Amino acid sequence: MPGIDECLTEAMTLPGARGAWLVDWNSGLALGTAGESPVGDHETTAAETAELARAAAEFDSFTVGAEGPEGDTGEPPVEDLIVTTRAGYHVLRFVRTSFDSSVFLHLWLDRDTGNLALARIRLGDLAERLVLG
Amino acid sequence: MLVRLAAERATGALLRDHGTLYLVDGRVVHAESPAAPGMDVLLTTAGRLPREGWDEAVDRAGAHRAVGRFLVDSGRLGDGELEICHLGAVFDAAFFALSPTSGPTRFRYGVGHWFGTVRPVSAEAVERETLRRRELLDAVWPYASVDTAPVVPRPAAPHQGVGARRRALLAAADGVRTPAELARHLGRPAFHTLLDVRRLAAAGLVETPLDAAPDAAPAPPAPAFPPVPPVSDPDIALLRRLRDALEAHL
Repeated sequence: MPGIDECLTEAMTLPGARGAWLVDWNSGLALGTAGESPVGDHETTAAETAELARAAAEFDSFTVGAEGPEGDTGEPPVEDLIVTTRAGYHVLRFVRTSFDSSVFLHLWLDRDTGNLALARIRLGDLAERLVLG
Repeated sequence: MLVRLAAERATGALLRDHGTLYLVDGRVVHAESPAAPGMDVLLTTAGRLPREGWDEAVDRAGAHRAVGRFLVDSGRLGDGELEICHLGAVFDAAFFALSPTSGPTRFRYGVGHWFGTVRPVSAEAVERETLRRRELLDAVWPYASVDTAPVVPRPAAPHQGVGARRRALLAAADGVRTPAELARHLGRPAFHTLLDVRRLAAAGLVETPLDAAPDAAPAPPAPAFPPVPPVSDPDIALLRRLRDALEAHL
């Protein structure tokens, strides 16, 4: 069972990976970081991506009708967020926990060497394994 | 003091008015505060662990200071879950433990916590995050009166979005529970609840009690200059600029 560091290390083995984070979107706290940050400071990146993730997780237009089964509060309605730029890809994957939390994995990929489709699938897999008891 | 303890790689407990930080080799391994729900509340409220499962872990591993490790080794929690929950709880408690206070700060060398070490964090990171959190609260809604008052919901405007987490918070707000009590009730970190309440206040979705009047300033010392004749029309803007300039220099 991987812990946070193993999970981020594994994410960094994906082709084109430049940085990886585990972030709490409610507070903006970086629980773990790996690689480099686009702005040279992991905590700034975490706080900024947290704002983006929070908007997606909270706006009803994205979440209504997408909640998990009744009473399953741990199921995030949004699965992932993808931001593409001229220079790279950012994949944010919400992590499901069976206690109250608000965390997501963030992987930053180089545009030329990254594989967006592969990264999205593998990040989803990592997010699941991270919390499997 | 925290910085100095980190520099000398101290091991022990830093006791303050609103909580305690536990250090091993100068790094923060645990924190607790009466204001923040502990791991037990976070894990049992949502039903992730039955209360007996938690109690058994404390009984069997508490004496060895390895409760966290035991929860994983006995198959009750995954490594990732333990780290996510514990880090969340540590930064949450540290936020309150490190809040500004006039009370004493003491350090007891050698004292450890029964939960044991999970994922040590540098003292500097904890202090920086605590400051960032304080600024974040004030950036959202700069009046602290909502932090401690009972949360009283106000009706939303037509089509005003609230978000699922804050809807659950409002649903639990019975007009008596304070943010700290709501956090415990919902099994959420206390800082997250404070932040949500401030966001609700900014959105006009909870009542905002008036800030208590600032403490009366102590009586000024006897003037060193002869009293100035009363001014009937003080230049408020000038006085404000003067005050700001003085504060910037002090």
